[in-house]
Amino acid sequence: MALQLFKIDSVEVNSPVTSVTFSSIPQAYTDLIIKFSACSSKAATDNDQANLTFNSSSTGYSDKLLYGRNGSAASAASTTSYITWAAIIPAASATANTFSTSEIYIPNYTSSNYKSLSSDNSEENNSSTDYFVTMLAGLWSNTSAITSVTLTCNGGYFVANSNFTLYGVL
Amino acid sequence: MAIRSLKSGTFSRSGLVGNDVIMPGSYESIATVTVGAGGANTVTFSNIPSTYTHLQIRGIPRTPGNATYMSVTTSGGANYGLKGHYLLGNGTSALAGVLNPTGTKGLALDVYVGSLVANQFGVYLIDILDYANTNKYKTARAMTGYSDSSSSLNMISHLYDTTNAITSITLYADGNYPQYSTFALYGVN
Repeated sequence: MALQLFKIDSVEVNSPVTSVTFSSIPQAYTDLIIKFSACSSKAATDNDQANLTFNSSSTGYSDKLLYGRNGSAASAASTTSYITWAAIIPAASATANTFSTSEIYIPNYTSSNYKSLSSDNSEENNSSTDYFVTMLAGLWSNTSAITSVTLTCNGGYFVANSNFTLYGVL
Repeated sequence: MAIRSLKSGTFSRSGLVGNDVIMPGSYESIATVTVGAGGANTVTFSNIPSTYTHLQIRGIPRTPGNATYMSVTTSGGANYGLKGHYLLGNGTSALAGVLNPTGTKGLALDVYVGSLVANQFGVYLIDILDYANTNKYKTARAMTGYSDSSSSLNMISHLYDTTNAITSITLYADGNYPQYSTFALYGVN
């Protein structure tokens, strides 16, 4: 059977914004997917982070990142008030007109268990050193159903032509 | 197929639930190619409508033990890629590195490919977001891999330096994609 994917909402950035929020998420799906193509205004660097929070909560997040950069594979971990590396996106010093290809998968978002997520991300740049190819596993240690998701640009703004789409999966 | 009631927001497996309108899904098949006897050097999806938001290719490829590549075509002509990058696991190590376009073949979709055993196929899952946006270069992200002693699981990233909408995608195999290799292109609204 074909993948049953339903668009819930989308945001096309026309003027720079620091964050994008999907709120009042219907509880009728099995999983959620966020596909986004984004770039940061952060100056003097090739990349920036897109952080993620659920339900405006600032507690209970941890994540582990596997990434390729500068010719090496490495891993990192974070425990803080948001999912730290939901995506790594191009910034002001990256190749012009370049945006990420990023996807976050959130299974079983209405359950009363803690919430897991995964993300796959390309932060492209015409460079042999300053780029990121990433895979992330994240955890929100909270039993509440997810009703809103916020992606925040860590060091700048999501620039115009960044876009974000939330899908429900059956 | 589940059907969503626009009145109540609930889902049902029956279309006979009093719905005035049936809401279609956001994931639509555009085209599917299954390689026939004799194999195929290239597989091309052409005349891609610009009406979707994103594209996804799902493939079950078999290769003759050589690399495979991808290129795109727009109204400005063929684009074989500007730069690519990979993150991979080969069963022993995790590695990362750079991909440069290989002539008119494009950017690689895999890094290590061994001589596959009979009947063994691999996997392509390729996403190109915002493929028709004329303000952006196009970034593709692919998960590809084969499970044998000398192949790898690859997370691949491609940058195509064109702001034109993608109208065609070509998958290229050194040698041929053998018979029964299958590729499907989907549009995501």
